[in-house]
Amino acid sequence: MKKRTTHLLLFAGLMALQPTAQAGDLFAVQVERAETVSHGTIEHAVILIEGDKIVMIGEDLPIDSGIPVIDKDPGWVATPALVNPYSRMGLSSRGPSGLNPQRKVSGELYTGGISKSVLEAGVGTVGLYPAGTGIPGRAVAVRTWGSGDARILRDDVYMKAMMRSDSSSKKTWRKGFEEADEHKEKEAKNREKWEKDREKLEKDAKDKDDAEKANKAKEELKKPYVPLTPKPAAAAFMSLRDGELTALIGISKSSDYIHFLDALGEEDVQWSLHVPISRESDLFHVKGQETLKGRHVIMTPAFSYHPGTLRRRSMAAEFVEAGAHVAFVPTSDSTSAHESWLRDVGQLVRAGLDPHAALRGMTLNGAEVLRVDEHVGSLDEGKHANILFFDGDPFAATTNLEAVLMEGDFITGEVNR
Amino acid sequence: MIRFQARLVSAFVALALAPALPALGAAAPSDDEGAAPEKEEPKDRYLVVVGADIHTGKGEVLRDGRLLAKNGKIVAIGYDDFEVPGLDYDRDVPAEERGYELEIIDASNVPNGRVYPGMVAFSTSGLLGGGGDYRDSIDMFNRNMLLGLASGITTTGQSSSTAKLKRYVPNSAGRDYDFDGVVIGGKTLSTVSWGSAASKRSLREKLSGAAAYLRTYRQWQVDVKKDKELKEPSKSGVDSTMLSVLRGETLARFSADYQDDLSGIAKIAMEYGFRPVIAGCREGWVVADELGRAGAMAVLTPRTRRAKDEELMAAGGSSIENAAILHSHGVQIAIIPGSRGIDLGGIAGRDIMHLPIEVGFAIRGGLPEDAGLASVTTVPARLLGVSHRVGTLEVGKDCDLIVTDGDLLHYQTFVQYTVVDGDLVYDKQDELYFAHIRPRDDSLLAPLVPFDPAEVPIEEEESEGDSEEGETEDEDE
Repeated sequence: MKKRTTHLLLFAGLMALQPTAQAGDLFAVQVERAETVSHGTIEHAVILIEGDKIVMIGEDLPIDSGIPVIDKDPGWVATPALVNPYSRMGLSSRGPSGLNPQRKVSGELYTGGISKSVLEAGVGTVGLYPAGTGIPGRAVAVRTWGSGDARILRDDVYMKAMMRSDSSSKKTWRKGFEEADEHKEKEAKNREKWEKDREKLEKDAKDKDDAEKANKAKEELKKPYVPLTPKPAAAAFMSLRDGELTALIGISKSSDYIHFLDALGEEDVQWSLHVPISRESDLFHVKGQETLKGRHVIMTPAFSYHPGTLRRRSMAAEFVEAGAHVAFVPTSDSTSAHESWLRDVGQLVRAGLDPHAALRGMTLNGAEVLRVDEHVGSLDEGKHANILFFDGDPFAATTNLEAVLMEGDFITGEVNR
Repeated sequence: MIRFQARLVSAFVALALAPALPALGAAAPSDDEGAAPEKEEPKDRYLVVVGADIHTGKGEVLRDGRLLAKNGKIVAIGYDDFEVPGLDYDRDVPAEERGYELEIIDASNVPNGRVYPGMVAFSTSGLLGGGGDYRDSIDMFNRNMLLGLASGITTTGQSSSTAKLKRYVPNSAGRDYDFDGVVIGGKTLSTVSWGSAASKRSLREKLSGAAAYLRTYRQWQVDVKKDKELKEPSKSGVDSTMLSVLRGETLARFSADYQDDLSGIAKIAMEYGFRPVIAGCREGWVVADELGRAGAMAVLTPRTRRAKDEELMAAGGSSIENAAILHSHGVQIAIIPGSRGIDLGGIAGRDIMHLPIEVGFAIRGGLPEDAGLASVTTVPARLLGVSHRVGTLEVGKDCDLIVTDGDLLHYQTFVQYTVVDGDLVYDKQDELYFAHIRPRDDSLLAPLVPFDPAEVPIEEEESEGDSEEGETEDEDE
């Protein structure tokens, strides 16, 4: 009873703080259960939505009589909308090879959109990666609706780098750092020269014999130092070192990973992994690596066989158990793959994958890879109101996706307010 | 580690860590230096093999001998007690707190356990994955590499280099993968074609050109001492491949099977004074004396079968005695199966996994067993220019060895453990592929209660005739 009072007070306070809130863009949804992903499950949850944001979520929150309430079916389960962090949906699959870390996918957005079926399947956010081999550019995080630049949630979300067990991919990766080093060296020399010049100018400025020279020197001294413009690759690898940019390393087998660590050497950069799950995947060899603990690993929800045998293994479950943060992507960029995405992950859950890790893998982990986790990926106050409503356990075969809410608007689902 | 715990009580396994322990004490004071580097010095790695007969590959057999390796190199083989005070101390100290890494292979749980040098495959494909420079392309998790190790191969020739089957060691205590240890030798063989009349003529011209150059070069070496202005003779027009063959920098590698070709190669080799390497050499037994005189080395596939050309009056075709006859004439024999890759098409196949079976066929034809072992260890190592590191078990050489459950060249024998550079990289009971076949006593697949036929009444033994234990009795002595 006491808890309820607190909520009431909180709620009243909130209303007072936002006097501009109109009844029209404020509403509440009552569900049997809400999977927040970020802070566990809330039974009998009430989600209060204003405009495009979630303003409050909690258990049995009392709702002011003026606020419309959606309470269609007592069995509903709410989850965050899905996030696909690795896709080329609507874009050409052609791209350059070699070292091109400055290229942006956001420059390609005019070429195509994403099918509405993807949105209706509950996918709200997509990371579009740059096509090509080597280091082909930087990804962008977009909404699955809208057009052009309005879709962009965040640009430069990760730099994609393909890593294979061969000299050329290792060389490409090392070359990036070498260019950054070269620039740093040049910059230091340039700065030194500038400072030396400055000393001379200061001397000149004090020269009382030649007033004209002194004035000129004084003018020169006012000019600030202009840093050199780095080469595009150098700039990218410098921001990688600074942590402004993260890398997504695409590997296909375990040895690629060991070669990547060799190429990376002592560099301290933030990176995630992308691993395709093939029929015979050998990735279980590296799952226990210390460098993979807490690391985001993007993979498709599929089973594979132990090489040379017919023993089925679930890489996703093994990686989750080993401490990696698995982020799932649909098995392909087709709309049907997005429509069957939940079902595909559901199969892994039935085979032993922790359902909470599975849901997190379809929502928050992807959002973290795309660095948009402050907006999407979980049901939290202040985040976008991207919510899916199911009539039961999201991973059960018989469950339907009843309604899709994106930034406060119902995309599908008959709802009574 | 569990597998030897109980057996370690035996006193002699007091390991040769005595020299190591003072060294550890010496390493400790380095902590005192203020700005100690973050990265720790790699710990010394010890590997001990006990409880098996050691076949060194040079002829000696040490019954129930012991072998000790430090940091990938063999440091002791013998019967000495490798006295180490302090094994008891070691047992109480958790592995991560030890100042060194220790792996003990106790082969006393392997019936008829034997230690051999790791086999050297003259040429393989697909065991390392990747291509080009193996330092940057090796697939250290490759299934084919594992199967190669499971069949006893630790070193392989590739198109233009020689590489170790360096698998990633899962329990490497944070050690980085040793990329630089993969390739251990460069190009040692120059392929020479011996086919059409034109190619033979051109080879003779190239050789005579190279020989003439070497004569002028040697004369110049003498003359230049008197006249320092004298210019080195020009190499233009001289075939560099043949020059390297005549200088002994590389070996000329021919592919020939017919006796006419073989004796032609022997003649030209004797004429120009180089030792030919002949791959194929199917009818070598017919002209073995010529090949022996020429100092030829042969790369054979003993199971090759081809009838003689019936139009010829002379003897010919393949012979089971080929390897034996060539060997008795002084031809060094390396043996390689018909297929260079791994194909899982069946048991006792003809792929690279069946080197010992291929050798066994040559032995059936009369090849002495030591020459049989040499044909998959020392001879290919010599051909690949890495015999100073691999091929035999000797102090100072790389610790590349296998532990088998019987004679290596017997068809029923399995490799139980494989060690490359002092790291245990294959344990039959730890991998899916052969663990279920005659599992070792210490394996989860083996019965918990050891089977003792003496304790079972005779009637019962007959009723259990189809049980797995029945097979293990089938040992070959």
